[in-house]
Amino acid sequence: MAARTKTNKELFFNGILNENPIFRLALSMCPAVGISTTVMNGLLLGMAVLFVQVFSSCTIALIKDYIHPRIRIPTYTLTIATWVTVIDLVLAAYVPVAYKAMGIFVKLIVAFAIITMRLEMFASKNSVTASFCDGLGMGLGFMFAMMTLGFVRELLGMGTVLGYDVLGFCPLLFFVLPSAGFFVVGLMMAMFNYIEIVYNRRKKVKR
Amino acid sequence: MKEILRITIALTLSCLIAATVMGLAFVMTAKAKKHNEDLYMQETMLGLLGYSKARPAPSDLRFYGVYRYIIADGDRRFLGYMVPVKRGGEQNYALVVMDLKGRFVETMDLSISPEAAGDAPEREKALRVALGPPKAVTYGDTTIIAKRGERRLAYLLPGSFPGFKTFISIMLALDPSFKVLGLEIMEHEEDPGLGAEIEEEYFKHQFKGKTFERIKTIDVVREPLPEQYKKYLERSTWQEGAFTEEEIEEIGRTYEDKDIYAITGATISSKSVSDGVRNMTKRFSYRMGSLDRVIASQGVEVLF
Repeated sequence: MAARTKTNKELFFNGILNENPIFRLALSMCPAVGISTTVMNGLLLGMAVLFVQVFSSCTIALIKDYIHPRIRIPTYTLTIATWVTVIDLVLAAYVPVAYKAMGIFVKLIVAFAIITMRLEMFASKNSVTASFCDGLGMGLGFMFAMMTLGFVRELLGMGTVLGYDVLGFCPLLFFVLPSAGFFVVGLMMAMFNYIEIVYNRRKKVKR
Repeated sequence: MKEILRITIALTLSCLIAATVMGLAFVMTAKAKKHNEDLYMQETMLGLLGYSKARPAPSDLRFYGVYRYIIADGDRRFLGYMVPVKRGGEQNYALVVMDLKGRFVETMDLSISPEAAGDAPEREKALRVALGPPKAVTYGDTTIIAKRGERRLAYLLPGSFPGFKTFISIMLALDPSFKVLGLEIMEHEEDPGLGAEIEEEYFKHQFKGKTFERIKTIDVVREPLPEQYKKYLERSTWQEGAFTEEEIEEIGRTYEDKDIYAITGATISSKSVSDGVRNMTKRFSYRMGSLDRVIASQGVEVLF
């Protein structure tokens, strides 16, 4: 087992900022580009990913000692698929309104790179509590990124936020189309990198 | 060899555990899901008749299901309609059997409660008991007849037909003269932004008010949808005083005899829906005609 160098709190914030799945790790770009057209879509998918990530991370952390190293990846996929199916069924049964809007996205989560990657990199080497914090952080980080992207694209593409008309006109329809997702993701990445550079420089000056 | 065995056992075990978890989740949620679907169906049916939360349905509105089955007796095929009847003061069902040309063959009493009749396996069980072993039944379709007091209000037809990608399932509402009262898209997997627009008001409401004569030959036209008509069709976005009474009537009259304006970039999806609606209406009017005739000539006391 790899030695843990971070506290649970650090692990939690690690996923949101330092290792944000979309802006820093550049993982799971397909959903980021395809689905982040509105804030609501981003939020719904983010929540579903959050649940799947936390449950899968905990499950793998629990059973990590019994997984044969040769069949790690199939086991991860199986775990993720199971949790996705369970969440899909639960949503369909108890929150039909939300399910109608996000039903097709939920099934896609099985193939999200970020979840498999966190299981391989983290949950299979760490304790359940640490994996829980990591999963929670990563899930929230993904949700945060999706909502930010959704906000920018919805505002610029349709002139609305959460469906409410803010601008009163529609600036650039281009932004709701999938190809614009790449532009927005790229710009946001640049912005986050810039913020980090400025932040580090200030820290140095202070010292 | 030992390694292979271990891997096989590990994978089999994981699959079994996963299957158990998923199965448990399915069993636990199946009932709630069914309930939601029924609720959604009920809401759609009321919506098509023009009732909503703001305008609740009257208390004397009743829905009766009529189920069509194809009965195979050796090489011969018959049509069997399961119709609700009143027997001994309670609602029950009877099976009206006719041949493929619509000539009466026989009627049989079925014993099935109205609640159980909504469930397909229960219906088939009752049919098998009544018909006897050598005859086999195949489910055809369902028609829901809405009745208010003594008056037939509408026919609600759930149906599906191939779209651009997979099946599109719809619910169509017809009035007693087979004029379209409304169309609702229940499920589809058309492309978002293109074929998926069939569920938008500006498309599905174009069918509303088309008479039976018009629907018989309905087709799509590849012309842009006139701006004013689009506004008129998007009923839920109307603001106070957007249209005067005369304008509504006039626009309705202008476009009454027009074909369906196809969705830009989704002519195939548009055409699937208009063809589907046309075929469903034509077939239904023929079937309903022969059923009504048989019922009247045999004096079956149906509830609808």
